[in-house]
Amino acid sequence: MNDKNSQKIVDVIKNFARKHSLFVLAYGTGCGAIEIPATMTSRYDAERFGIRGAATPRQADVLLITGYLSTKTLKRVIRTYEQMQDPKYVIGFGSCTINGGMYWDSYNTIKLLDMYLPVDIYINGCMPRPEAVIEGFIGLQKLIAAGKAEGAKKYKENLDWYRANQKKVIKNWVMPDYNW
Amino acid sequence: MELHKEKQLLETLQGVFQLKSGEIKRRHRIEVEVEKKDVVPLLLFVKEKLGYKHLSHISCVDWIEEGRFELIYMPWSHQEQILIMVKVSIPRDAAEMENIDMIWRQANTYQRELREMFGIEFPGFVGDYDFILEDWEDIPPMRRDFDTEAYVKDHYFERPGREDAKDVRTEIAKRSGEQIPDFAKKYSR
Ligand code: SF4
Repeated sequence: MNDKNSQKIVDVIKNFARKHSLFVLAYGTGCGAIEIPATMTSRYDAERFGIRGAATPRQADVLLITGYLSTKTLKRVIRTYEQMQDPKYVIGFGSCTINGGMYWDSYNTIKLLDMYLPVDIYINGCMPRPEAVIEGFIGLQKLIAAGKAEGAKKYKENLDWYRANQKKVIKNWVMPDYNW
Repeated sequence: MELHKEKQLLETLQGVFQLKSGEIKRRHRIEVEVEKKDVVPLLLFVKEKLGYKHLSHISCVDWIEEGRFELIYMPWSHQEQILIMVKVSIPRDAAEMENIDMIWRQANTYQRELREMFGIEFPGFVGDYDFILEDWEDIPPMRRDFDTEAYVKDHYFERPGREDAKDVRTEIAKRSGEQIPDFAKKYSR
């Protein structure tokens, strides 16, 4: 098990399994959460790709940020994200997460999600349609299969940088420290 | 159009209170302006005597040039089908208004919002703590002297590329070497 090649094989198998069972945390912010029921139910049926809902952060693999995040919500989202178990991925939905979208000059929404959380893939659109959502999930699956969806690792390694950004907008930081 | 219900109401109010102005805006809607001291008596009067049981909203306008906030109370009567807009001006630098949440309990929510968004104090009401904003340290954001853009600039990050406002269609076409047909060009900026 210790030599490089067998580790590679293990990784391939692991990534194959991971990519086919993406449990999405049932959590929505912004306008985009309204596209999720459509994506999950019979018309677009995301479950054929192994995408399904999970009730709690500890059971989930994917955190969807479905639109604008107010600083108040950001605090909860960070806390949620840190509770999730590895492997975990973040998908940013819609232009609000990419560059602020139509809330670019709002005083209480963040503009760039990837300064606060490690985003593995963005889906553009305002709001992305279910097809686009599924496309984004497939993009994530490809990243996972290639072993490139390493947001969580990035977050752990650059925690100080993320924390500094987070604390810049969250003034009253009263959160537990998790030791993953 | 017959407006006699509205006229009658306005006459009643004029008889009882000293209105600074009173006007029938249209059917189902009248607008009166009163002094600050008359607001609570007037609201109590329309609620208890005239049956305006429902407070639809308390709204606020920031007249920064004139140095005042204008609060607008909107009681509504289901029987009469009339919305009264009760306007009152309060000075901007000492923004304080009487608490009315014992007349209508829902006023508490509106007052909390006004307190947070405009910085109007309502002495004596329960709810003088954070409402929607969390840990807000700047001046209340709905005041017109609050500079949203400057606030955004120094609190949030900006993705480069927004400032030039390029046309998405032409940019994508340029990147992928695609030809945009002539007829479609007029739709691009
Ligand atoms: S990108 Fe558009 S649809 Fe999505 S949250 Fe922002 S404004 Fe709403």
